Amino acid sequence: MSEATRSSSAVPDPAAAPRLSLGEWVRDRLGLQDLARLASKKEVPIHRHTIFYYLGGMALFLFCVQVATGILLLLYYRPSATEAFESVQYIMAEVPFGWLIRSIHSWGANLFVGAVVLHLVSVFFLKAYRAPREMTWISGVFLLFLSLGFGFSGYLLPWNELSYFATKVGTDVPAQIPGIGPLLSRILRGGSDVTGATLSRFYGIHVAILPAVSTLALGLHLLLVQKKGMSVPPSVERKGATRSMRFVPDFLLRDMIGWLIAVGLLAALAAFFPWELGRKADPFAPAPAGIRPEWYFLSMFQALKYLPAEIAGVPGETLGVLGFSLLAAVIVAVPLLDRGASRGKPSRLWDVLAVLVLIGAAVLTVLALMPPGKAAS
Amino acid sequence: MRFLLAAALAVLLRAPALGDPPGAAPAPSGCVDCHLALGDDRVSPPAAAFADDVHARAGLTCADCHGGDPKAEDQEVAHDRRKQFRGKPGPRQIPELCGGCHGDAARMRQFNPSLRVDQLTEYRTSGHGKALAKGDAMVATCASCHGAHGVLAVTDARSPVYPTRIAETCNGCHGDSGLMAAHKLPSDIYAKYRRSVHFETLTKKGDLSAPTCNSCHGNHGAAPPQVASVANVCGMCHAIFADQFKASPHEAAFAEMGLPGCVTCHESHAIVHPTDEALADGSESKCADCHEPGTKGAAAAAAMYADLKRLRENTAAAKEQLRIEAEAGMEVSRIQFDLARADEALTKARADVHYFSPAAVEKAVAEGLAVTRSSREAATRVHAERQFRRKGLFASLGLIVVAIVALAAKIRDLERREP
Amino acid sequence: MQKDIAEPAPDSRRRWLSYLLGGSLGATLVSFLYPVLRFVVPPRTSEPSLSEIDLELKPSDIPPNSGRIVPFAGKPVLLFRTAAGELKAFGGTCTHLACTVQYRPARSDIWCACHDGVYDANGTTISGPPPRPLTRIEVNVRGDKIVLRRA
Repeated sequence: MSEATRSSSAVPDPAAAPRLSLGEWVRDRLGLQDLARLASKKEVPIHRHTIFYYLGGMALFLFCVQVATGILLLLYYRPSATEAFESVQYIMAEVPFGWLIRSIHSWGANLFVGAVVLHLVSVFFLKAYRAPREMTWISGVFLLFLSLGFGFSGYLLPWNELSYFATKVGTDVPAQIPGIGPLLSRILRGGSDVTGATLSRFYGIHVAILPAVSTLALGLHLLLVQKKGMSVPPSVERKGATRSMRFVPDFLLRDMIGWLIAVGLLAALAAFFPWELGRKADPFAPAPAGIRPEWYFLSMFQALKYLPAEIAGVPGETLGVLGFSLLAAVIVAVPLLDRGASRGKPSRLWDVLAVLVLIGAAVLTVLALMPPGKAAS
Repeated sequence: MRFLLAAALAVLLRAPALGDPPGAAPAPSGCVDCHLALGDDRVSPPAAAFADDVHARAGLTCADCHGGDPKAEDQEVAHDRRKQFRGKPGPRQIPELCGGCHGDAARMRQFNPSLRVDQLTEYRTSGHGKALAKGDAMVATCASCHGAHGVLAVTDARSPVYPTRIAETCNGCHGDSGLMAAHKLPSDIYAKYRRSVHFETLTKKGDLSAPTCNSCHGNHGAAPPQVASVANVCGMCHAIFADQFKASPHEAAFAEMGLPGCVTCHESHAIVHPTDEALADGSESKCADCHEPGTKGAAAAAAMYADLKRLRENTAAAKEQLRIEAEAGMEVSRIQFDLARADEALTKARADVHYFSPAAVEKAVAEGLAVTRSSREAATRVHAERQFRRKGLFASLGLIVVAIVALAAKIRDLERREP
Repeated sequence: MQKDIAEPAPDSRRRWLSYLLGGSLGATLVSFLYPVLRFVVPPRTSEPSLSEIDLELKPSDIPPNSGRIVPFAGKPVLLFRTAAGELKAFGGTCTHLACTVQYRPARSDIWCACHDGVYDANGTTISGPPPRPLTRIEVNVRGDKIVLRRA
């Protein structure tokens, strides 16, 4: 692009500049070349654990899939107790490819939470939360809580038997918090019981409140990742400098392979295991046997079952909820608690604790999945 | 003023008479007080039971049926035959005693204008009434079924003649084998009735329109329907079958043979759910009772059975196909709704058996088969859609694989250029 | 690949690779966009809402003094037009033992064939065993379509 020759006016006249192609014009006016320059600078270290770097991008991709399929479902879904179930039935039966969009959304939610959890676990064990990336970790854990919120609020929206009763049970849990518990439960439910008011509220949370908050948190998280660069695990750092690959195009192309595999998996799941709809929720019918929340809540659900009704005068469930809250607070504060990692010391204690928590959660989840009678509850 | 006082006194002191309007408070009765005070098993229970009686509520007293003087405190005065004291009426007197009021339209109009007043007339035509007229006192009279002193309205669920209790009440005598043998009647009717769908509908489903003894035998003119009128009696509710039967060759044939219409195949009291097997030639066959194998009748029965069987099997097959598709996640509720018409066609075809003409059954079955055929075609289309989804999936997966291969090749190429 | 075998015109190979990559990614993108675009176009059939549906029938499809059964949220509904021309609808399930009722043009009443239950044109039982009147359904005409709504 040649610049205009110097004329008598101080400011060069852009209209007098030589003709640009459409692509060049858009690039220039949006300042895309600055972005391109930034992107070309981003490097990804290559070492034994490089494969875990893909998990963040996978979580982001699956989030985008959820947003896209969610927006499409919004075109037909009706958030009222009388019409929600029928509208989902309509999507599954009458709308062309409605079965595909809805099943992808339902399966995608599970894959998304799975990817977020794996991402968190890998970041933890690779100690990527060390200084100067503490805020990245904290914003990431916050994003995990948001994704669990998405899962919980979205689960109710088809208004079928399982989701109705699972929500009843699930919104009973915060009521156990001393003091503000019952108020919190009332705010969640939009009343004292799970009704159409709850559905409206969960719908607003699922499509407006959580997306808005997630956009901010995700924006912050991604910004921090770009600013601080990719972290290298301490075990690799000690061995000296590492090779690296460019983010664009090398890492990105590999990312895309992963994303295509994920899309293929979602399509196969939708075709072979369409997400079921079940029966419409009937608040006056007794709860069917075997209601339980989605798999990511199962460990807490099972743990609450094992707590005795009372411990030293305090209701067992209250202690359970307080325990989970404490665990959540610890997870958020890991970088602040494990100062040693920032100084490069191997944090064996934290690793052991984390492994124990993971094994415990896995065991509880398996127990919760076993048919009643087999689990020792 | 004096006039008003006199009028008030007159109102307060007047003796209760049969002209009293209903709803008046139970009149004072020396009979009840004295009988209750006696504490005797023979005379106290009636007095106690009378408090609940509809007649008491209407303002009647013991004297209105038994005569005598209710105000008298002395037994001889109260039981004075010159005051029309009758004592305990025997069975031969009861119908006339009750009928004296209940047969008088003008009188009954004062209490319940819509009550019938022909019960005594009906009773005289009944089996009980005729036997009584011949001198047999071991028969039912008004008090046998309605009670004598704690008479409740028919609409009161505690009454022995409330629809769900009538059969039991009749069984009180008709189940007594000694009594029945004396009258040359069977004593197992109630047991048979309890096996019937009518009993089940009445007692378990609570449908008070289901028939019990009086529905077919009559209330007060109770007698078994004549052989020729059985179809009419059943046809009161089962109108369609009655019409069909009348249009069928069986009506004339049964009349000629003196067979009792519907009861010939369906029994009189143990009326159970009919099955298609009644048309077949197995142990449950009804047709084989008359139609020898090889006759036109047997062939007609076999043809009807085969048609019904075909519709049943086709409907079941369609339902199974839809079930498979539904379990595979496909939405088939609309098709299942339409398939319900095949069940209705089967019900109609089974009803049309009463034309006793294979053509009629075949026509009804054909309608059902049309429904099952279209349902099966729809299910096949759904199956094809399911296969199409699989093919579409594999096509997309194929594209994805090609894209992945292209990506991998590009990556390798880039690496080779700048290791 | 062996290094000593000269690659025939690496530039053209790279170009083919780029075409293949662009083409396959493009085709994959189209295979994603096709269902999305089909999804966005609403289907022709009416939405099975529990409380209201548009029927495929036009008002002119129901002549005076005739009726028919239509499905509504999985249950039969009796839709009929009186001799005077008024469109009416009631739940088509008899309140006695749940057989499907029908409109009888000869007597302008509603009849249940199973046990001879008869309802009048207002859905009230006038003869036979049905213990309750038929369920009310609201009928409206919107343009050229009949709309049923649970009353």
